[in-house]
Amino acid sequence: MLKKGFLTTVAAVSLMAAAAIPAKAEVSIMYIEAFGALIEGGIADFEAETGETVNAIKLPGQGYDQRIALDLAAGTAADVNLVDSFMVSELAAAGYLEPLGTLAAPWDQYQYYLPGLLEVASYQGEVYALPTDTDVRMLWYDLSNFEKAGIATPWQPKNWADILDAATKLKEAGVQYPFQLPAGIKQGEATTMQGFYMALLGADVPEGDRNRLLKRDTNQWIGDSPALRRVFDLYHQVYVEQELNPADLNYATDIGAAVRQALADDKLGILASGSWEDACLWDCNNPPSREDRDAQVAWTPFPGSGEPGTMAATNISGGWTLGINANAADKEMAFKLITTIFDEDNFKEWTLANHRMGVRTDISESAEYTADPFLAEATKLAAETTGRDTIPGYQTVSALVQQATSDLLDGASVDEVAQSYHDALVDEFGEENVITYE
Amino acid sequence: MKNQANPWLTSNLFVLGLGLLPAAILIGALLYFTAWAFAFSFTDLALVGRKSVEWSWVGLQNFERLFTRRGFLESLWTTVIFVFFSAIVGQSVLGFLLAALLRGTQSTIRSVVEVCIMLGWLLPDIVAAFLWSATTSQTGLINQLIIVPLGFPPINFINEYALPIVTIANIWKGTAWSYLLFSAALDSVSREVVEAAKVDGATPFQRIWLVQLPIIRPHIATNMLFITIWTFTYFPLIFAMTGGGPGGQTQVLAVFLYNQSFSRGNLGFGSAISVAMLIIVGLLSLVYLRMLREPK
Repeated sequence: MLKKGFLTTVAAVSLMAAAAIPAKAEVSIMYIEAFGALIEGGIADFEAETGETVNAIKLPGQGYDQRIALDLAAGTAADVNLVDSFMVSELAAAGYLEPLGTLAAPWDQYQYYLPGLLEVASYQGEVYALPTDTDVRMLWYDLSNFEKAGIATPWQPKNWADILDAATKLKEAGVQYPFQLPAGIKQGEATTMQGFYMALLGADVPEGDRNRLLKRDTNQWIGDSPALRRVFDLYHQVYVEQELNPADLNYATDIGAAVRQALADDKLGILASGSWEDACLWDCNNPPSREDRDAQVAWTPFPGSGEPGTMAATNISGGWTLGINANAADKEMAFKLITTIFDEDNFKEWTLANHRMGVRTDISESAEYTADPFLAEATKLAAETTGRDTIPGYQTVSALVQQATSDLLDGASVDEVAQSYHDALVDEFGEENVITYE
Repeated sequence: MKNQANPWLTSNLFVLGLGLLPAAILIGALLYFTAWAFAFSFTDLALVGRKSVEWSWVGLQNFERLFTRRGFLESLWTTVIFVFFSAIVGQSVLGFLLAALLRGTQSTIRSVVEVCIMLGWLLPDIVAAFLWSATTSQTGLINQLIIVPLGFPPINFINEYALPIVTIANIWKGTAWSYLLFSAALDSVSREVVEAAKVDGATPFQRIWLVQLPIIRPHIATNMLFITIWTFTYFPLIFAMTGGGPGGQTQVLAVFLYNQSFSRGNLGFGSAISVAMLIIVGLLSLVYLRMLREPK
């Protein structure tokens, strides 16, 4: 009898214990290290103000997009998540993110966000995340290597031929990575945005979205077009035909570190990247002085291909956002963390120190912001910029673009790659959602 | 012996059921994940977006695409080369040779070599990946120590010989297992048998080939079974070293599966790849299991 009672008690207690482990009252946040200065400043303020503990999950940038999608899909994501803006609509469509409309309405600083950037972080008219920054893209180049190759600076390429010409001279001068044009799957979005899309926008005329991945008025993906083939050929020229750049930086164990090392060792010629490099080419959270940076590198807008009617220079903007997990235990508290991070003092200091492009008028119209020479120049590029085709499906198309560049690096012909890209789009979206431009 | 179990316990189905629960959960979980991958390989399930919640059945489409789209067959071939050279030729043969050679040596030499082999095995994959990248890059150890002092221009090994480099890295990493297994196996071969062969005039090579190898045949098969299975599905070292690149040069099936499932976000297609991998590994295992049977 004693045994029976004992066993039953043990079973009952174990069951109760398993069911009754209390949900811990803390807020969690996941972000990439490049945003450490912004987010950790906000976390410190939040903890001081509320007395709550924040569980901070800081990760490297590589593979982060896959991680966030997987965590949200599996239901194991943090309460607050830093999300690349292109993923917001897709994550929202799957019901993984919490709409912010009601939460944000009473917040006095919500009014300052630029509507265009909130739109990027929206799905079906509802805002799902708040932007941290936006960016522009350009070609960075190493001044000492340009001097060595006998190329006049400031460098002002007018078309792709000028870039390839400069890269050839750099190669002849012994520069190891003459033109680092992001390629392949490991680079993720960097391949699509910094490399492929920047070239694509200048590869054909803008009419009818002939220079894009998506025909935006009908929401049909462009499966084949002269612009796509020209960009495929540009990659083919750079990596295979003219061998203007070894591919290995795109596949380094830590790509960011490898690029920074190549710059530090004077092995880099031209780097297709973005405005954040003004800090991140050295250390995102702690860049060297303006003078040191200007002595080492300079930048120029990414020129169009030079085909008739194409844009003289191209640009496309992205940026990151903070959003709330739809399964967060305490959404009010999660939003409180977001507003503390984005509170003007913390947000403005970070934006200025890291040379990020402002997403709020109270910051971007401030005297300190407008007086900054880099931000003033970069903002000029933003006047002509465009955004990604952030309808659901973009992430897949982006991965297919990366796959295409990867195949080109393997030596596949432009025709072959164009065919595979078209077939893969049809596989994913159906014949009716894919068009071809002759 | 008489059944000594508590009569209350044996007559109480509820408690018996409760006792069975852990086993049932374990078996259920194992079957669940396999069944999940199998079922979703017939769908267009996506990682994010609409199709992550409103997926539909697509029949054999994903399996057709394994053969009609670029990627799977190329990755399969890369995997076969990688498994053959790094696991079967590299780890297994090297492990056996080391085990055979070190049998007669002093215990200190043996210990030093064993520790060195084990270090590679014990090192986390990501640390090993960084080490190998640093060693084989254009400014890496091999260039600084060997190539450049000899007067040759530095070679960007990881860019130009990506597959051989990850293969060598995996041999370095995994030889310890084969070594340990073969070492134990050779210890189990009785000294009398070997000495009898020696008396009969067998050369050292004949003693290994005709006496020891046939005796440890089941161990060889077991070793092959293990290393083939885990090298076939091996992911972290290659992914961290090259991410499958440059281009697709080192894109083994595990990396291809990852890219399709989590970069492209096509979990349906990814599941089809994993089912195909399961079938291939299953067939290979059958071959090895036949080898394990005693000869008639």
